[in-house]
Amino acid sequence: MMRVSRKLRKWTATILDLPQDVVLDLPRITMIGGLQVTVENHRGILHFSPELLRLAMDNGELEVTGQDLIIRNIGAEEVFVEGKIMGVRLQPRGKKPQ
Amino acid sequence: MKGTWVAMLRGYVGVKLIGGEAEAFLNAATSERIGLWNIAFTPRGELTFGIMVSDFFRLRPVLRRNGSRTRIISRHGLPFRMARLSRRKTFAGGMLAFVAALFILSTMVWEVKIEGNSAIPEEKIRQMARAEGIYAYQWSFRLQNAASLSQRLALRLPEAAWVGVDKTGTSIKITVIDSTKPENKAPASPRHLVAKTDAVITRVIAENGRPKVERNDRVRKGDILISGLLGDEKHSKAVVSKGKVMGLVWHEFRIESPLSTKTRNLTGASQDRGYLIIGNRALQISGYGGHDFADSQTRTTVNRAQLWNRWLPFGTMKEHELEVVEIEKKLTPAEAKEAGLKQARAELLAKGGQDAIIKAEKILHEQTENGKVLLTVLFEMEQSIEVERPILEASIE
Repeated sequence: MMRVSRKLRKWTATILDLPQDVVLDLPRITMIGGLQVTVENHRGILHFSPELLRLAMDNGELEVTGQDLIIRNIGAEEVFVEGKIMGVRLQPRGKKPQ
Repeated sequence: MKGTWVAMLRGYVGVKLIGGEAEAFLNAATSERIGLWNIAFTPRGELTFGIMVSDFFRLRPVLRRNGSRTRIISRHGLPFRMARLSRRKTFAGGMLAFVAALFILSTMVWEVKIEGNSAIPEEKIRQMARAEGIYAYQWSFRLQNAASLSQRLALRLPEAAWVGVDKTGTSIKITVIDSTKPENKAPASPRHLVAKTDAVITRVIAENGRPKVERNDRVRKGDILISGLLGDEKHSKAVVSKGKVMGLVWHEFRIESPLSTKTRNLTGASQDRGYLIIGNRALQISGYGGHDFADSQTRTTVNRAQLWNRWLPFGTMKEHELEVVEIEKKLTPAEAKEAGLKQARAELLAKGGQDAIIKAEKILHEQTENGKVLLTVLFEMEQSIEVERPILEASIE
C-alpha cells in the first residue's frame, strides 16, 4: 500500500514537474560556504560532538563533519548547524541494514 | 531564538547538561517541541544550550527520563533583571522617584512671561494674573483653560483691548494689547495771544479769537495780538485764542572772536596696554615699552568676568592711548569775523524757534584788539512772536 502511494506521488511529481522534496518529504540541505548547514526534514539526532553530527533521515543518515560544530537552532524538522564544516555525507540505508 | 527582543522580554537561560546521553536528550526535547539554540560542547565535553525560561520548566520530565540534570550557567532577559532590581530596593525606588519627580515638576508652571508693549505696568499685570492663579510654581492642573483665563484677565484689565493667555509646556505667556486712547489734551483756559517782544508784524494767522493787529503793524512787548474776548461790551465771551503771528525782531549781538584757535588733533600714533583686574587693582600684562607721548588721549575698556548675572571681582582692562598734537591756527581778522558771525547766527536761530529766518544783518561796530575781533551786530530776524496770556475772570466782567 505504502509503495503504491509512494510510486503514485513520484509519478505525479514527474508529470507535474514539481520539486521532489516537496512531494516526497526528502531532506533538503542548504549550505552556505563552509560555515552553515541547514537540514530540513530530518528525523532526529543520532550523534553530536564538536567534530561530527549524524542526523537520521527517512532512508538513511546524514553526516556533517567539521570542527567546533554548534547547533544554532533545532526544531522538530529543521537543524541549523554552524561551525567549520568540512564534509557532508549521505549514507542511504536502502533495504539493507548497515 | 525567535526575535531577540521577545526572548529578552520573556527571559532565557544558558544551561549545562550533566549526565545522560546528549543525543537522546536533544531528540526528546525536539519531539516535545522545546526550542533549544546554540547547542555546543564545552572543551570538557559538556553540552550547553540556550532555552526560554518557560521551556525550561517543561524540560523537567525529559530530563528525568533521560537521567540527567541541568545547571544554569547564565540568565538573561527582563524577568531576571526585574528580580535583581527588586533586591535593590533603594535603586528601584530612586528610579521611580525620578520618574515621579519629573512628572510632578512638569505639571508645574515655571515661568510667566508678559509680552506686548503695553502702557499697563508689568507689575500690575502680574498682580492681576496672580489673582487669577497664574504665577510661577503654580500647579498647572489648578489653572482653568486658556480661553476662560484670558477672558477673566481681560475683565480685570479694562485698559487692555485684548488679553491672550498661551500655555506651552511649563511656561505661560500673557500678551496684552493696549486699546489706543486719543491723546490727552490739557483743557485750555480762555486766553489772549500777546507779543513776546517788540516787533513789526509780517504775518497773522488766527485760528480762533479775534486778530487785533495787521501786517506791518508795530507792536510792543505785551500787546494783544489775537484777542480771546469775542462780542461787544454787553455780550462777550472768552475763548481760547489760537494762531500764529510772525514778526520782524531785532537782536543786537556783541561778538568776541579770537584771532588764533587751538585744536587738538590725533596724529594717528597709538599704543595698547592690557591689564588684569583683581579687585580694585590692575596688573599690566601687555604693552610694556611703548612710547611716551607728550600729549595723549586714553580710551579705556573694562571687561569684568560675569558668572550668570553676577559680576566677579576680576577681569581685564584695555587701554588705547592715542597721541594728540595741539595745532594753533592763526586767523586773519576777516576770517575771525566770519567765524564769529557764523556762531552768532547759529545761536540766534537756535533761540528763535523752528521757523525763524534771519532776514538781514548789519555790523554796527568793528574793532580788533588784544588778539580778538570785537563786533557789534544787529540781526533782523523773522520769528513767531506770540505767547499765551490767560484771561482773568475779573477782566471778562
